[in-house]
Amino acid sequence: MRRRLTLQKMLVIDPEKCTGCRLCETACSIHNEKTCEPERARIHITKWENEGIYIPIVCQQCDIPICETVCPMHAVKRDPETHAVIIDSELCVGCRLCVQFCPFGGVGVDDKTKRIIKCDLCNGEPVCVEFCQPEALQYINATTLNMRKRRAAAEKFSEHLKKMLRANY
Amino acid sequence: MNKLSPQSEVRCLNCLKRFTVSPKAETAVCPHCNTKYRISWPTPNQAKVRGLA
Amino acid sequence: MVIKMVWNREILYINLSTGKISSRTVPKIIRTRYLGGRGVNMYMLFNHLTPKTDPLSPDNVLLVGAGLLAGIPCLGSGRCDIGAKSPLTGAVGDSNIGGFFAPELRFAGFDHIVITGKTSKPVYLLIKNRDIQIKDASHIWGQDTFETQKIIRQDEDDENIKSLVIGAAGENLVKFANVRTGMKNSAGRTGMGCVMGSKNLKAIAVRGTTTLEFTHPDELLEYCKQMNTMITSTRWAKAQSRWGTMIIYSNTNTTGLIRTKNFQLNQLEEGQDLEPENIDKYSIGTSGCYGCAVHCRHRYVLKEGPYAPLYGEGPEYTSLGAFGTMVNCNKMETILVANHLVNKYGVDTLETGGLIAWAMELYEKGIINDKATDGLKLEWGNEEAVYEMIRKITYREGFGNILADGFKAAITKIGSESKYYAIQIKGMSNLHSDERPTPSFALGIATSTRGADHLRSRPAIDMYGLPEELLEEVYGGHVASDYNSYDGKDRMVWWQELLYAVTDSIGVCKFQTVFCAVHAPQWKEFSNLINLTTGLNFSKNQLMEIGERIYTIERLFNSREGFSRKDDNLPERYFKEPTTLGLSAARNKKISMEKFNKMLDGYYKLHSWDSNGVPTRESLKKLDLDHEPSNLV
Ligand code: SF4
Ligand code: SF4
Ligand SMILES: [Zn+2]
Repeated sequence: MRRRLTLQKMLVIDPEKCTGCRLCETACSIHNEKTCEPERARIHITKWENEGIYIPIVCQQCDIPICETVCPMHAVKRDPETHAVIIDSELCVGCRLCVQFCPFGGVGVDDKTKRIIKCDLCNGEPVCVEFCQPEALQYINATTLNMRKRRAAAEKFSEHLKKMLRANY
Repeated sequence: MNKLSPQSEVRCLNCLKRFTVSPKAETAVCPHCNTKYRISWPTPNQAKVRGLA
Repeated sequence: MVIKMVWNREILYINLSTGKISSRTVPKIIRTRYLGGRGVNMYMLFNHLTPKTDPLSPDNVLLVGAGLLAGIPCLGSGRCDIGAKSPLTGAVGDSNIGGFFAPELRFAGFDHIVITGKTSKPVYLLIKNRDIQIKDASHIWGQDTFETQKIIRQDEDDENIKSLVIGAAGENLVKFANVRTGMKNSAGRTGMGCVMGSKNLKAIAVRGTTTLEFTHPDELLEYCKQMNTMITSTRWAKAQSRWGTMIIYSNTNTTGLIRTKNFQLNQLEEGQDLEPENIDKYSIGTSGCYGCAVHCRHRYVLKEGPYAPLYGEGPEYTSLGAFGTMVNCNKMETILVANHLVNKYGVDTLETGGLIAWAMELYEKGIINDKATDGLKLEWGNEEAVYEMIRKITYREGFGNILADGFKAAITKIGSESKYYAIQIKGMSNLHSDERPTPSFALGIATSTRGADHLRSRPAIDMYGLPEELLEEVYGGHVASDYNSYDGKDRMVWWQELLYAVTDSIGVCKFQTVFCAVHAPQWKEFSNLINLTTGLNFSKNQLMEIGERIYTIERLFNSREGFSRKDDNLPERYFKEPTTLGLSAARNKKISMEKFNKMLDGYYKLHSWDSNGVPTRESLKKLDLDHEPSNLV
């Protein structure tokens, strides 16, 4: 179940930009459940409120999904279009091994239906991204992400260089 | 030269008329009443008055 | 048509004296007349209290109300309204708080909590869906507002619990103690924390996982997205996203609209360090309330100095005045420390700063001396004295004990000479804004039902010099474009009062309405949101009528307590002392008594109240208020 080697968009999280507004959770639950129940959203904002730390937690759509590896029913599949890791509810028996083993808290149990829920990238137009004003959530392609990471690293590096040069004079 | 985005306008606090601020400028003078301001940039293309210069 | 959400949210009644707990759904007639939040609270305030109730007696009622739209993904829909008779003013007590409490309460199945009575020992209320407990709070009594929330979460082993709490100020019955949630959000005004303290109620903790249904979920989601774009594309919101409400300072201090040294100056001349841009060096990012795309506050860290290390959120524009201009301190660090202290103790930033500034002027004038202040040098710009006074007020020590009862009581104790210097209306301190050059703002603070206050009506767009045709379109009548003018400003204030009454009742953030831009959301957008959320239909005129009803029932409450035209006044200095600094439109300005009174007459007429400011029989009939108290909920 490896990825095709095409330009693939991915949901990228930047916790430093997250303001903790929970628009993503709310929009996700309205989109998927038609009700406002952040509890049942596919994305969750984990907060350390007294320290001011907010971290969006959502499925990383892993290249080698651990959820797939542990699933005894082979219910974990990949959407051919979006490459989202999805759970076939027909096959799923609700054993929750995926919930237990996902290192990112990417899969959850819906307390109401007792079914497994996870992010399916909204058919390629993630609603949470549309609602995230500070761009803590972005849906971008992998090469863009790589490029940005390199740029950010280069900027940091040049800052260091500048400091070192200044220190010499 | 690129057409300036309308967001790089500020409203003069003295005469309340709008005027355009050049990109990244740190100061600007209202062309209508000559009041001189320090400018800051909440976003790269939106200027705002910071204080009197 | 399905009207789901409206029907299954309940009002929870708690009698702390008897321990009796009951609930009922919010009847449709209450929804259609008062919406939710502030509207429903104010209805209940009028109905549940008998005239002249002692605000600190068990008979006072503490009202907590989620806005009608709490939970929707736009416009900062996390707002909660807290009401009671104010121990500070004796008038309507009402304060609005953002954060995450209101949606959580709603997820638990409740929209309103009505708390009466008093317990003999400290308690807190724990609501987990329909499981409601009054729990012992002896282990959190004495804890600050941050720790209290943390301990409750730890005790219940649930990080998602949201609490409304009081700090030491509320416990010590400081008359302007606030109610807080999260690190920053405060229901600051009118002393709601004092009422909570008087009931021995340390906190209201809630956790909810029930289903909140909307009438048209898909359309609502799409419309909310539009609303967020509408607001975040305004210049104002963009600047606010970046630096918070402090951005107001750039405009007001530059123009000369900030009271400085209590009320002696209208501009802080050496005020560059207080510019919002300077928060950047302390900031680790911004923070938003529930459902807010603007995120108007910073998360800041102080790494150096005697108060470090310190993590706080904010500060608001209000604190820039309270611990900056009014007391003549001109350092950002002072603001950050003082903001942290008032938040920790749970005391209103504005009232505290207003009282300290007043005391400093009295000290300068020799009306009070070192003996009165317990040796504290209450000199302008003395930040250590400011910190110490915040603490002394909170713990009611010495001179702090005198200020802790608010302006009315302090004037009586210090002497009538001190009254002239007090910038207060109906017993409540004004913001650090100087309204002498802006008659619309001046009228708004005079008429506000909860005492000197900008959030009942402030028509901020009056400052933009907008074309009169546009103003006429918005306000439905002539309004002068010039902010120095009195012309049409009665209409402006009246209209804004109605809009904000509805804003506080649907529970969205005022900063995401015409407060910030003329094209930002107002009646039409509110009406659409209410329809998509609840299925209820209101025209613009019907919403305005609801606003009028809410404002009028507040007015009725105040009339019953003896307030009238004589109390809709400005401090004497507004009429006597002209401003001396700032740009030409702000300089050498004072309020004309004659024009002010004319404006007040016009304002009463727009509300259909008589010339003494009392609602007339006909106006009450028109608003279905002629049979109050009707005791429907
Ligand atoms: S919408 Fe964006 S900023 Fe808001 S909580 Fe979600 S990730 Fe954070
Ligand atoms: S659920 Fe967890 S393991 Fe599975 S793809 Fe998502 S992040 Fe990876
Ligand atoms: Zn000008």
